[in-house]
Amino acid sequence: MTQSPTLSRRSTQSGPAPLRKSKRGGVDARAGYTFLLPWLLGFIALTVGPMISSLYLSFTNYNLFEPPKWIGLDNYITLFQDERFLQSVGVTVGYVVFGTPLKLAAALAVAMLLNSKRRGQGFYRSAFYAPSLIGASVSIAIVWKAMFGDSGPVDQGLSFFGINLGGWVGNPTMTMPMFILLTVWQFGAPMVIFLAGLKQIPNELYEAASMDGAGPVRKFFNITWPMLSPVIFFNLLMETIHAFQIFASAFIISNGEGGPAGSTLFYTLYLYLRGFSDFRMGYASAMAWLLVIVVGIITLIFFKTSKSWVHYSGDSK
Amino acid sequence: MINRRHFLTTVAVGTASAGVLAACGTGSSTSGQTGSADNPVTINYTWWGNDDRAERTRKAIALFESKNPDIKVNGNFTDFAGYWQKRATEAAGGGLPDVMQWDLSYLRDYGQRNQLLDLGTVKINTDAFEKSLLPSGQIKGKTYGIPTSTNAFAVYYDPAKLASLGIAEPDGSWTYKEFNTFLTEVGSKSNGALFGGTDYTGVWWMFNVWLRQNNIEAFTSEGKLGFSKDDLKKWWNLTADLRGTPAIVSEERVTQLAPKSPFGSNVTATEVTWDNFMAGYLGDSGAKELKLVPVPSDDADNLGLFLKPSMLMVASAKTKFKDAAARFIDFMVNDPEVGQIFKTSRGVPASKTQRDGTTFEGTDKIVVDYETSISQYLKDAPEPPIVGFGTLETSFKRIASDLNYGKLDINGATDAWFKEAEDLIKQNA
Repeated sequence: MTQSPTLSRRSTQSGPAPLRKSKRGGVDARAGYTFLLPWLLGFIALTVGPMISSLYLSFTNYNLFEPPKWIGLDNYITLFQDERFLQSVGVTVGYVVFGTPLKLAAALAVAMLLNSKRRGQGFYRSAFYAPSLIGASVSIAIVWKAMFGDSGPVDQGLSFFGINLGGWVGNPTMTMPMFILLTVWQFGAPMVIFLAGLKQIPNELYEAASMDGAGPVRKFFNITWPMLSPVIFFNLLMETIHAFQIFASAFIISNGEGGPAGSTLFYTLYLYLRGFSDFRMGYASAMAWLLVIVVGIITLIFFKTSKSWVHYSGDSK
Repeated sequence: MINRRHFLTTVAVGTASAGVLAACGTGSSTSGQTGSADNPVTINYTWWGNDDRAERTRKAIALFESKNPDIKVNGNFTDFAGYWQKRATEAAGGGLPDVMQWDLSYLRDYGQRNQLLDLGTVKINTDAFEKSLLPSGQIKGKTYGIPTSTNAFAVYYDPAKLASLGIAEPDGSWTYKEFNTFLTEVGSKSNGALFGGTDYTGVWWMFNVWLRQNNIEAFTSEGKLGFSKDDLKKWWNLTADLRGTPAIVSEERVTQLAPKSPFGSNVTATEVTWDNFMAGYLGDSGAKELKLVPVPSDDADNLGLFLKPSMLMVASAKTKFKDAAARFIDFMVNDPEVGQIFKTSRGVPASKTQRDGTTFEGTDKIVVDYETSISQYLKDAPEPPIVGFGTLETSFKRIASDLNYGKLDINGATDAWFKEAEDLIKQNA
């Protein structure tokens, strides 16, 4: 089996025996699909199936109990007259726009610190990565809620410096900073990817730049940034998509209500409330598809604009 | 570096869609069948409540199992808000627990949509129930829920806290204006250490009581709203001068304390709510004694009060163990020993058998005495409200909270609630 890929590729290139090629290719394909089958079945049953059914449901009035009623585009039209929906869009966009760049900046800064050769670097890397392992969990959201509550450590710490904000959890203007801090704190995953990217930048580039008299800032913008741009792009894309989907921490910190005063009514939380609290699954499905479309468009825009600032080492530019 | 474009595209698009959409599928359903109970069968029972109720329920289940060795009961509980989201998820997946504690607010949503077992088809003894109470568990002649107990609206206060502030205990014959003055007095005398109460206009059922005091129906028999925007504005205006003062606990604090109540957390001196919360409040606050008086009314002869089934016992339409479920429900509502375990923590037992077999002392006696004392003012128990009522109740609370945060003014809040209510009624018509 280990020989076959090379064999078939060679035959594709020269192509003297078309009959043998297709035969081999068939066997390969069959083996490939057989190995893929467990994943493929799960993908079709658990992802594609529900997606198609939710697309259908988004055009219906469906209350979970009775058969869905076809209502065409009504759900999509009502969405834009729903003040709570518009609020949830505002909250989520604010979170994505502020949270994602800050998180990536923190991740890159720490990755650069950890990239230098120093004693005990392995320990520091693990230590900085740890929050992202537990960060998305229910327990951390609960801890966060306690920390930022009335007379919690954060409130008391700030009071020590004469800043009296009270508990953040109950204050509509302070909940967003709290969620952004929570996501920034979980910079571990993009940090590891940044670290891997940094290690791939040839040291000669920096040495040559030093010879030419470039300082650290210059080196960062002229070597690190362009060389790292594919990794930055990847992280930016993944974190943006991820940020749009924030749910668990918002659900727990606001007791599943999106309060106070709707300040933590994230898109997915409102979607959940619509579906499972108000029994409007058609409406919720329409929201889900709208999110997919919007995230898709944003992804597309990222890819289009990436040509001007992302450099792949193989590219001519 | 490697050219990652294709890899990136695939991963990004896959992640974007999978997470969001997988949550919105439909579940399949299976038909229910009666099971035999020769070998021990296990039924699932779920309820909402706090630790106090959990402990009492555990005892009741143990007692049931010892009396019925052929049935095991697997118990599970959450708080009230999370409870209904879980039930909706389970109903969609066809997996509601066999027996459930239920609320009047959600009886139509599930009963009318064939999710609940018609308890008329199984053996449950309802001879010991007030005939006027049973209709609250019935929809179109079918019995979906059996009331465990009754509760009524009341004002709670902590006598020790009032005494420490030098404020006389209220006797419960008060107008809204007098009640507001009382709340203000608590707030000003305690120098902000103790609030008068929570904003009582944020509670739907208190609004319902007020409507009854003014002889207005909450819902018409056609399932439409029975009151006008002006009525709701008048209601929310009742505490307009108190919001933001020490008379009423700030919404920031309420949010911080959730899911505990401000009264249970010793932040307020009073609370306007159901009388069966007594045990929970005692447990949460650690107070030695709490007392109950009637709600304020501007018409001394019409307090607008009524006995509501504080909770009902229902079974899933799809349960495989109808017989076991019926026996457990019958036990929970009728057995005198269950009454001894719960006392008034579920409300005053609805079944006379259970009520007579329970000895009420101390605070439990306060609850029973309270319901006796208001008996002359009581009106009929409400029928199960409209489909989607639970959602309206939640949005009432949410919008009143926005009002307290100053996010909405009274006109805006009224418009917001009416828009949601009319939309919901149209949706379910």
